[in-house]
Amino acid sequence: MKKILTTILTIIIAVSLVGCKKEDKITFWNPLTGDDGAFMEKIVEEYNATDPEFKVESIITPDMYTKLFTVINAGKGIPDLTLIHAHVIQQFGKLDLMEPVSVLQEYNPNLVKENYLEQAWNSGEYDGIQYTIPLDIHGNVMYYNKDLLSKYGVEHFLDDNIVTVDEMLQLAGKMEEGDYVVNNALFEWVTFGNLVALGGSLSDESGNPTLDTPEMRQVIQKLKELADNGLLTPYGEDGYAMFQAGNVLFSTDGTWTSTAHDSIDGLDYGVTNVYSTSDGSKFYNRSSAHLFSILKNNERSEEKVKGIADFLDFVRENSLVWAEAGQIVASKEIFESEEYTKYPQSFFTSTEEEKESLYIFDYEYYNYAEQALASVLNDIVYGNVDIDEGMKKAQDQLKDLIEESEKSN
Amino acid sequence: MKKNKLNKYFFIGPHLILFIVFIVVPTVYGIYISFTNWNLISKPVWVGLDNFRTILFDQNSTFYFQLRNGLKNTLYFVLITVPFQILIPLIIAVIMSNKDIKFKGLFQSILYLPGLISVSASALIWLLVVNPRLGLQNVFGSTTVWTVSEKHAWMLIAFMSLWGAIGGNLVIYRSAINAVPQDLYEAADLDGASRVRKFISITLPSIRFPLVYTIVMSTAAAFNVYAQPLMTTNGGPEEKTTVLMMYIRRLAFGTGESIAGMASAMALILGLVILIISSLQFILFYSSSKGVEVK
Repeated sequence: MKKILTTILTIIIAVSLVGCKKEDKITFWNPLTGDDGAFMEKIVEEYNATDPEFKVESIITPDMYTKLFTVINAGKGIPDLTLIHAHVIQQFGKLDLMEPVSVLQEYNPNLVKENYLEQAWNSGEYDGIQYTIPLDIHGNVMYYNKDLLSKYGVEHFLDDNIVTVDEMLQLAGKMEEGDYVVNNALFEWVTFGNLVALGGSLSDESGNPTLDTPEMRQVIQKLKELADNGLLTPYGEDGYAMFQAGNVLFSTDGTWTSTAHDSIDGLDYGVTNVYSTSDGSKFYNRSSAHLFSILKNNERSEEKVKGIADFLDFVRENSLVWAEAGQIVASKEIFESEEYTKYPQSFFTSTEEEKESLYIFDYEYYNYAEQALASVLNDIVYGNVDIDEGMKKAQDQLKDLIEESEKSN
Repeated sequence: MKKNKLNKYFFIGPHLILFIVFIVVPTVYGIYISFTNWNLISKPVWVGLDNFRTILFDQNSTFYFQLRNGLKNTLYFVLITVPFQILIPLIIAVIMSNKDIKFKGLFQSILYLPGLISVSASALIWLLVVNPRLGLQNVFGSTTVWTVSEKHAWMLIAFMSLWGAIGGNLVIYRSAINAVPQDLYEAADLDGASRVRKFISITLPSIRFPLVYTIVMSTAAAFNVYAQPLMTTNGGPEEKTTVLMMYIRRLAFGTGESIAGMASAMALILGLVILIISSLQFILFYSSSKGVEVK
């Protein structure tokens, strides 16, 4: 009896060990939480269903950059593939963390600039070398409530696809109580897009920060006029929720929020360019991009690099599902397709002018600039802080951050 | 005998290992980093006391402002929440010690539940409660936007914090009060002592140690406040509710390259403040506890 039991136990253990054979996978780290993550999971599942040599394991990491720095420092556990944002390219490039895409192009000739949206492709370049394959562009857009536009008789604002602050100011004193013309969603992005449209910049030719400029002042002054005339949603209130509740004509949030707006019963909305604080002759929608990148890792085999190239080509051909997340898909095969036109964000790839409006900053210290502006912008616009005082504070903060950061390099 | 000597290490070993790995080593490394410039990627660059000179003495520096503003707001939070975190559960525990109160377990559970809710969910709940269009204040005809008025912003943060913190201390106080010998109260009754007299002369001295523990722990926890202002006011209006941990986190792990050295220096200052205050609390409460008599 004892002998029989021992034999059965041995067989069970042996079978378990065989079943436990470790499968080599492509570890794919991405910061896509919420619905975005679900759509990416779908793409990964579809790819894995094709039975590739290396299956992809998608690991959603909300605090991804902190964890990336940890594994890079440790030299262990570096993921095979990551999805990063355009705003870290300058930093990652300077620190020489990424492999150039040429290592992928050796295995797949489709992973080239011609097959992608130019603005998305270019955002992955550092010092003349291409480091990433783009998944999408996502950025600041403006949604409008069609019913409210009709109610206030201002559908003509959209005749040229660009609404100006001066047009909005025509509604001063005409809004019903509780209704507003525009909210302050992604306010810093609205500011930056308009800054560039005026010919302004976040830095001078030498790379010194230039937040405190006449162009920036002009933009902020115009935003302040909206608040002073009671046309901007009140400070501290959730302007995004107010738009969804049907109380706001225009909402300057992101491409990705179309999925949330779709779920609201009775919200008849459209999408257009972010409003202009000048005459609208030149306009930009501040954008960013999700980019596939392979970080340097000596432990990664050439076979796996080929596997990654295969996966990225699959994504290039099958990322229509990514359009459901509300993002502007970077793959030319997708954004030039008939099926893509049913998505609201297809507006931004419908003409060359619209494509060119998708502005991705490549300033090395862009994140610091956004952080510095965010600390004062609402307080300036809503009158809590003097505009000159606020801009100086933002400029000083940016300078201090840059100075301190440069000491580490 | 040898077996007995090893036993104690088996019992304390796991905790000691975890303590060393997750508390001691990071603390020592953090102190080292505070004397460097480090972006989390390249090697730390030793700069000696430069970071401390900047945050303590360079009045033109953003980081000087951040340390002072952050520490001031953190101290304010400690002052407006810790006393209530002690008093409110203590009063409730005393009331619940009355034998005529029914369903004590149920009340305790209800008061403890908010402490189990995540801070993010708690923030969402409270933001809805004070929402100028949908919140409770609409019942009273008020449309104040709490997150942009400094006074109301602090009230919101304090209410939310107390709502979650009361339950934990309540459990400790109830347990401590239940352990006080009843014959002390009976003797006091015979002497004609009032309820207040019994509370001051019997209850408080008898639960001194759990009381000191909760005061010290609540104070230390309050100094580490981060999530409540972040999730409700994001530090506004005009950085008037930005606490020091928010500046530290933003510098070390925000968007943009990490400025870990400066963040560590600020964290070290905060740690020293907590250490000093906790030590003072211990000295104050334990020195006065020597020779205490129950009168």
